[in-house]
Amino acid sequence: MADFVLELKGITKVFPGVKALDNVHFQLEQGEIHALMGENGAGKSTFIKIITGVYQPDEGELYLNGHRIEIRNPKDAQKLGIAAIYQHVTCYPDLSVTENIFIGHEKVQKGTNRILWKEMHEEAKKLLDQLGANFDPKVQMGALSVAQQQIVEIAKALSTNAKIIIMDEPTAALTKRESEELYRITEQLRDNGASIIFISHRFEDMYRLAGRVTVFRDSKYIGTWGVNEISNDDLIVAMVGREITQLFPKKKADIGEELLRVEGLGKTGYFEDISFTLRKGEILGLTGLVGAGRTEVCQAIFGILDYERGSVHLEGRKVEIDHPQTAMKLGIGYLPEDRQKQGLVLNWEIGRNITLPVIEKLSNNGWLNDGKESEMAKNLSEKVQVKANSIFDHASLLSGGNQQKVVVAKLLTADLKVMILDEPTKGVDVGAKSAIHEIMSDLACQGYGVIMISSEMPEVLGMCDRIAVMREGRITATFERSTATQEAILEAAMMRGHAEAERAAI
Amino acid sequence: MKEKNIIAKKEFNLKSFFFQWEWMLVLLFVVINIINTFLSPYYLDPKKLLDATMTFLDKAFIVLPMVFVIILADIDISVASTVALSAVVMAVSYNLGVPMALAIIICLLVGTLCGFLNGLLIVKFKELSAVIVTLSTMIIYRGIAYIILEDQASGKFPAWYKFLGWGYVGGIPFILIVFAVFAVVFGLLLHKTTFGRRVYAMGNNITASRFSGIQVDKIKVIVFTLTGFMSAVTALFLTSRMGSTRPNVASGYELDVIAMVVLGGISSTGGKGKLTGAIISIFLIGFLRYGLGLKNVPAQALLIIIGLLLIFAVMIPNLKFNFKKWGKVQKTS
Repeated sequence: MADFVLELKGITKVFPGVKALDNVHFQLEQGEIHALMGENGAGKSTFIKIITGVYQPDEGELYLNGHRIEIRNPKDAQKLGIAAIYQHVTCYPDLSVTENIFIGHEKVQKGTNRILWKEMHEEAKKLLDQLGANFDPKVQMGALSVAQQQIVEIAKALSTNAKIIIMDEPTAALTKRESEELYRITEQLRDNGASIIFISHRFEDMYRLAGRVTVFRDSKYIGTWGVNEISNDDLIVAMVGREITQLFPKKKADIGEELLRVEGLGKTGYFEDISFTLRKGEILGLTGLVGAGRTEVCQAIFGILDYERGSVHLEGRKVEIDHPQTAMKLGIGYLPEDRQKQGLVLNWEIGRNITLPVIEKLSNNGWLNDGKESEMAKNLSEKVQVKANSIFDHASLLSGGNQQKVVVAKLLTADLKVMILDEPTKGVDVGAKSAIHEIMSDLACQGYGVIMISSEMPEVLGMCDRIAVMREGRITATFERSTATQEAILEAAMMRGHAEAERAAI
Repeated sequence: MKEKNIIAKKEFNLKSFFFQWEWMLVLLFVVINIINTFLSPYYLDPKKLLDATMTFLDKAFIVLPMVFVIILADIDISVASTVALSAVVMAVSYNLGVPMALAIIICLLVGTLCGFLNGLLIVKFKELSAVIVTLSTMIIYRGIAYIILEDQASGKFPAWYKFLGWGYVGGIPFILIVFAVFAVVFGLLLHKTTFGRRVYAMGNNITASRFSGIQVDKIKVIVFTLTGFMSAVTALFLTSRMGSTRPNVASGYELDVIAMVVLGGISSTGGKGKLTGAIISIFLIGFLRYGLGLKNVPAQALLIIIGLLLIFAVMIPNLKFNFKKWGKVQKTS
């Protein structure tokens, strides 16, 4: 029995209306990195919340080193040496790194309960050093990059002497280089005796790190394999339940005349001298490191941000866009990066979300027309294949991939010519990802011009006709599909920063 | 893989239809009326009950736009000062020789302008919250009213003006009829138009609303302007009822109005609630006050009761949640 540090048997968890976990098993060996994979909505998040004591299972048993345990709340989990690092870093941006690390278990003097700042700072420094991070623990959390914040989260886990560490999509928001750093730290944790459950959508992560992989699908346990025993294709089949014939279903589209032209766009401190064109039927990739100014350029074109210099031309005519409504009227749509904050009204039904951008057009002179709304919502949610029972289901109950499909459906409501998609497949499972790619490709075939912002290299190379690379607010290179290579793009994205980055990695 | 069809027809669910805050309020309303009937033999007289509405409906006009403001997750605490300023300007201009009809229009204009200014400040200075902006204008508007009239009363309005606050049409108080018309208009605006839909969207997620092409600033300004306008309507009826006005008139109305809105089930975090809830709670508090008044219960006691009702209103949704959690703990341990 004592072969496993953590073992879960027959775990079932039911929420009103949904079975989030159905008789799920999981075994974690001492000192291994165990990948947990599955589509969004497969039950991974619920599973973690059971281990960390946020939820109680309705059925099933948990064993820690062979002993039956019950984890009633997150505090219990902490005492048992279980810590989780979440997908969206859950920190206090206004507090210092030290405070973030020790929150909930501050070092205090016995008797007086005075906080021992000096000791805490020293301890924090030691933990950060151990993880190879070189920032000051007194610095404000909000001033750090996402990657650095993640390291703080790991330090927090270490400060509680965690023996079992769960990492929930830690690489989702990281660049390649930052991911490498995280791999190194993760391996170091393992070598020091921790057992790690690593959740990710990236196959790369799994191959690089994990010894074994467990797959969940539709709330059920599908299987556990050694990473070397299972092929990529088989793994996808296990996760999706069907074969994905083509990872990037790019169809050949006729590329027509110029649709959008941007000339010398600039906004001090954000981007400078941005010029590019987009033609009908073309998919233009906009890539580069996170923070290179890609999102800002696109939001300026869409009228969320203003620009100070330069001009935007649509079908040869100069246009002034001061508000998203103007952009949409002209035929420019934007799919925001953060679907939960910028894309959806989570408390609302799917249908209302879909029709929100065109509510005026669907109305009779301002009076709501429920019939027309339902019809459009139904048609579009079927078109993008949202997995839901009815258009009256709340958006908050959908999985990430399905939420993203709803945001895509919102874009399809309007009469658009240009679609700007900002990281359309970030944090989305393989199945939904390929569905979104397919929609994109179809749109291009229908004569839309598509701009896709993406940090994921295979996606950019697989889907785009042309690729513009940004670095520090400027476009540093543009490649044709035929000539683009991963190395060339990376170089353009990092050029000057190259030497510094190299140094940082050592 | 074959996708199943997505249902686009709403099923009527009896349970969720009755499990609404508005029904709770109706129930409470009935209970209060029963208690009142037992407490005082004079209570259940239709004529007197209709008359009673005349005493509390003046501030009800502001409740209607305040529902919009709170659904936007904002607040407007300057409404009582707007009432005072527009009433004072009306009274002073009439006494300076302006015809009464024109003075009434001036009153409505002043209120509208006050509201517009609130809205403008709120959207132009994003770092200031609505609370701070309207707290400032609350002091400013009231201050201007004091400067204009100092600590005096102004009145001597023409006889016909009395009709607003005291008149009947076919045995029904005029103020009740006007309120009913406004209530229908605001109800339709909130629940049946694209404007209302956008207000709900903004209250739930203003960022997503902006990305969806909604002109969020414009809608905010319109809502605050409406609030100013309706405050002026309150000023008209209140002044008519009192016969004259002073700079300190309507003090405390902002809290009464906000209390009615919150009791009506409109969440102060925005995006939730219905106009009917607020309308029921106007009558609920109004009749409660009237009934207790008949029994000579002091006004302070009434305040306590309203306070308790408010806590109750805010607590209920959370209470439901806790019961569930509590049940779970019992089961697992």
